[in-house]
Amino acid sequence: MQSPGRGLRLPSLRRLRAAWPWVLVLAALVGVRLSKGAFLSDAYALLSRPFWPGSAQSEWLRAAQQLDQQTRLDQLEADNRRLRELLELQAGSAELLSAPVISRQVQGWWQQLVIGRGSLQGLASGDAVLAPGGLLGRVVSVTPSTATVTLLTDTSSRVGVWVGRVRHHGMLVGQGSDRPLLRFIQQDVGVRPGDVVTTSPASTLLPPNLTVGVVQSVNEQAVPAPEAVVQLSAPAEAIDWVQVRIKAP
Amino acid sequence: MSGLARQRWTLATVLVVPLLVLAAPAPLQLAGVPPSWAVLWLLPWALMDGPLSGALLGAVLGLLLDSLHPGPLTQLPVLVLLGWWWGRLGRRRAPIERSFSLGLLALLGTALLGASLALQQLVWGLSSPAAVHTLLAQTLLTGLLAPMLCSLQLLLWRQLVPGLRR
Repeated sequence: MQSPGRGLRLPSLRRLRAAWPWVLVLAALVGVRLSKGAFLSDAYALLSRPFWPGSAQSEWLRAAQQLDQQTRLDQLEADNRRLRELLELQAGSAELLSAPVISRQVQGWWQQLVIGRGSLQGLASGDAVLAPGGLLGRVVSVTPSTATVTLLTDTSSRVGVWVGRVRHHGMLVGQGSDRPLLRFIQQDVGVRPGDVVTTSPASTLLPPNLTVGVVQSVNEQAVPAPEAVVQLSAPAEAIDWVQVRIKAP
Repeated sequence: MSGLARQRWTLATVLVVPLLVLAAPAPLQLAGVPPSWAVLWLLPWALMDGPLSGALLGAVLGLLLDSLHPGPLTQLPVLVLLGWWWGRLGRRRAPIERSFSLGLLALLGTALLGASLALQQLVWGLSSPAAVHTLLAQTLLTGLLAPMLCSLQLLLWRQLVPGLRR
């Protein structure tokens, strides 16, 4: 029979020395537990980095988003066309024809483009010319294989436009520089920088609701009515291909 | 009209001007404004070939260039005037061939051409603040290019068309 004092003996120093690695492991596990697995997550992230979803997946997402937006745009356009027919406004039935820019004069006495499509492809004087970003100008003359486009910045350009936020019409007048001037007819139009300018919804010369640009600054003191400087959304200097909106036969 | 205009191939070089206007080479632009190619071609031609040839070729150039640009602005009257003026200057005893003289004549010619276009813009209600920028840039650039390009053309005409007056 053992004496009562035998069970209370401390472990020997040799045993403690042998057990210290296990103490360290235990401390590490406690640390992992208290840090809620931060080390594990970071280590996993480091190891699995080569297998992370790459650019291909983000492109798929972007493509899906574009498809979604395009579908919505098509539906809205169809709605818009139906409503315009009900209101007996310009139907806007037209097709887009791509054309290369073969000559470009964006500064100087004339601001114009010459494009490599002409009357043989169905272009006619007055057709609207579009670029990524919005309206660029109008066809003023055609030959069998080329067409001359007067840009919105040309001093001879006069286009009726619409500021949707304040629901006001204005006249976009070319100034021979990058930024045309938007002249209003009424006083107190309430236009401010950042307002989007589009072609008039009731336009008969141009397709309605095409993006033209953004108001950059407003001169409220102009006489007889306020004026605004517009930054065009389609940069004519950097465009090699345009789209001509030709009227359906 | 003397030797230059009788050589049909030299006359055909006038077609280079509208082609250069259409091509609008970007390295030869100042603040986006191209030089006046019409002035750069007409100046040596008129100096070599006299006032009648200069005025006629000025009219030809004017018609060609006006056909490229829609709208009411025309370069024809000033190009005719410049061709006639430079042709008369070329008939003087001392030939005009120094770089400074060529540059100055081109500078004056381009300024006159630009002023006429700005005046026409004013008349037709198309005036804009950018006209001053265009006029200054084009005048300066044409005046800078003229000593080199016009001298080369004068040399070329003399070498290729024997029997010219000077």
